[in-house]
Amino acid sequence: MARRVNLLGAAVFVLALVLWELLVRTSVLDFTYLPAPTAVGEGLGELLANGELLGALGHTLFAALSGWALAGLVGVAAGSVLGLVRPVWTYSMASLEALRALPIVAFVPVAVLLFGFSVQTEIMVAFYAALWPIMLNTISGMRTEPRMLESGAVLRLSKAAVLWKIRLPGATAMIVVGLRLGLSVSLVLTLVAEMVGNPAGLGFLLVEKGQALQPGQMFAAVFVIGVTGIVLNGLVMGAARLAFRGQMASSGEAA
Amino acid sequence: MTPTISCDDLAVTLPGASGPVHILRGVTLAVEKAEFVSILGTSGSGKTTLLRVLGGLLPASGGTVRCDDTAISGPPEGVVTVFQDYAHSLLPWRTVRRNVALGIEARLPKSERDERVDEALTMVGLLDRAEEYPWRLSGGMQQRVQIARALATRPRVLLMDEPFGALDAMTKASLQDQLQQVQELTGTTIVFVTHDVEEAVYLSDRLVVLNGSPADIGLSLEIPLPRPRHQITTKERPDYLELRHRVYEALGHTVGEPARG
Amino acid sequence: MKREKERGGTPVRGLLPLILLLGLWELTGDPASPYFPPPSTWVDGLRPLVDGDKLLPAIGQTALTFLLGLSIATVVGAVVGTLVGASRPIDRALSPSLEFLRALPAASLVPVAALVLGYTTQMKLVVVVLPATWPILLTCRTARRTLSPVLLDTPRTLGLSRWHRTTKILTPALTPAVLLGVRVAAPLALIITLLVEIVTRVDGLGAVLGAAQASFLSAQVYGLLTIAGVLGFLVNWVVTRAETAVSRRMRGTT
Ligand SMILES: Nc1ncnc2c1ncn2[C@@H]1O[C@H](COP(=O)(O)OP(=O)(O)OP(=O)(O)O)[C@@H](O)[C@H]1O
Ligand SMILES: [Mg+2]
Repeated sequence: MARRVNLLGAAVFVLALVLWELLVRTSVLDFTYLPAPTAVGEGLGELLANGELLGALGHTLFAALSGWALAGLVGVAAGSVLGLVRPVWTYSMASLEALRALPIVAFVPVAVLLFGFSVQTEIMVAFYAALWPIMLNTISGMRTEPRMLESGAVLRLSKAAVLWKIRLPGATAMIVVGLRLGLSVSLVLTLVAEMVGNPAGLGFLLVEKGQALQPGQMFAAVFVIGVTGIVLNGLVMGAARLAFRGQMASSGEAA
Repeated sequence: MTPTISCDDLAVTLPGASGPVHILRGVTLAVEKAEFVSILGTSGSGKTTLLRVLGGLLPASGGTVRCDDTAISGPPEGVVTVFQDYAHSLLPWRTVRRNVALGIEARLPKSERDERVDEALTMVGLLDRAEEYPWRLSGGMQQRVQIARALATRPRVLLMDEPFGALDAMTKASLQDQLQQVQELTGTTIVFVTHDVEEAVYLSDRLVVLNGSPADIGLSLEIPLPRPRHQITTKERPDYLELRHRVYEALGHTVGEPARG
Repeated sequence: MKREKERGGTPVRGLLPLILLLGLWELTGDPASPYFPPPSTWVDGLRPLVDGDKLLPAIGQTALTFLLGLSIATVVGAVVGTLVGASRPIDRALSPSLEFLRALPAASLVPVAALVLGYTTQMKLVVVVLPATWPILLTCRTARRTLSPVLLDTPRTLGLSRWHRTTKILTPALTPAVLLGVRVAAPLALIITLLVEIVTRVDGLGAVLGAAQASFLSAQVYGLLTIAGVLGFLVNWVVTRAETAVSRRMRGTT
């Protein structure tokens, strides 16, 4: 599958930036605090030069990834149990669905209440946010093709082997989808927790720069956050393709 | 000689949309060691059901099922089923080689395992596709992978559910001959479900016809054709034609009338 | 299991653990606890808000922002999605820019929008509309792309005007896709609405929730959380119902 470079698309993107620059310069777009793209570039330079950006990025990544990794462990384990043990599913799925209806952001104030203005708050929020997509995707991934399980039975695989060699690999593609969704929501919720809870990281940087009336640096931070999301998603996909070549290839996510 | 796998007065009842449905009743069948027995019947007559019971995948509702004089509960050691739908019974994330190794990888050291896999793949003529993923193979090739996976475990009994059902005539013929060779080489007992009369007569030492509802064995017929058999010469023999005639009759066709579906 | 699936979902028995948990919490919880006040105190916690006539207006403002934001997102998403889906060149021209916009987490837009647009209702709307547009845009694009050309050519040969082609053919053909998108976008829009309110404290349930947390009114926080949950549940229920009902009518009763 040869990937053609989308020149047209890139041109439109650049054109949009140029247009934005012109509109701001000529004051057609007249907002007091709307920076032009060049000002955003300068802001990025300043943030990089004084080291604020990398420090904040590191903090946010640490919190989001810790929560996400924890959610990965708990979500896959709990999802497996729920997907495999019928009575557990019957006697808890409705509770989980009720809990899931609670908008996740509404938990941020609760987490701040419980864990204070600390990095634990961020990690807990990231964990809770990522837990849902990971767990629910694991549950549906565990619906294995019955014929595959029968194949395992006639070849006399042990229960552990059926779980390890048939069920889990069969669920891998779904679990990876859950992990990717989980990663992006845990990043978002970590930012929220930093804005209203723990004053640190990129979320707080945004708020701080807003109060200091530094729109250029602010937009630069938003840009960095967007790129971080894209890079993280790419890393997860790449790692999954490396580690689970067959599973990803067979589910159409060809390497 | 004691039968390898057998059932006595077997009954199977399964839940249907409107109450339980009796699918098999009073089925008695004993398969000898190294025998090739075909089970024939129209679609929906219960062939797959019977095979699943013999393979320990479905409990009987009545009667007894035995493998070497022990009652069956779950798939017995050395009895491997080859399923009708090959597409869903192979693991799509494993290469052909690793699919074939699935049943033996926990029991054998690596060198012996590789040897067995190569041997099984050679038997079905797929050694050169060993590193491919099964979903990149044709349907017939996938079915051969499933057969190789069974052969790699060196089964005593092979239960095959319409293994060549979805294949074209030429591939089918060549796989039939491969299967004959494999059986000659390994002495495996084979129970072979099919709805193809020619195939059943050509391959079997004995064939049974399932009919009725609930189904039981309507005809049990020895096929004393000499071995090795040959696609052209065997099928031209008068005794082959005579046997074929009798099976068609048992399935409800009569001479002089056009065939019914 | 199959039958339960067909009747639409999970067995109600599954609520048991949640009920047990809440019951246990109620029985063993310390009413004065600053962290885990038992459920019965939540209602009392909400009382000052009800008495001060603050709760209903807050819910109203949240609902207004949510509904307006979702409506704008639906229109924008449906129009842009249909355009992008109708023409490959437009798709290729716009998709990198759209993909980049999509990658910006909603949370990061909040402070920016607040600085540029001020702490206003328009600002809230802008932040809600952007992320809620994507699901609708994407389903619409796919649906328009896979629309059979015959469906569009037939009315042309019948001499229908462009306006009639749009209202009589295109709109009904794409409605199920739009609704599918709305089903995904609606819970998202609610979450983002609360998010903006919690972060900027501009009106609404989220602002009240943020304020309650800032003054350590834990019982009130849990009470508001429950209300947010009920809102989330309602939104989910309504959009799911609407989507199934409409798509069933569009596809006939089969
Ligand atoms: N899991 C099941 N539950 C209930 N009834 C079943 C089940 N599987 C099969 N049946 C019924 O049992 C009968 C026999 O089915 P079976 O699959 O054994 O037929 P078959 O002879 O293998 O047909 P075919 O040649 O089409 O494969 C059919 O009437 C079918 O509807
Ligand atoms: Mg069958």
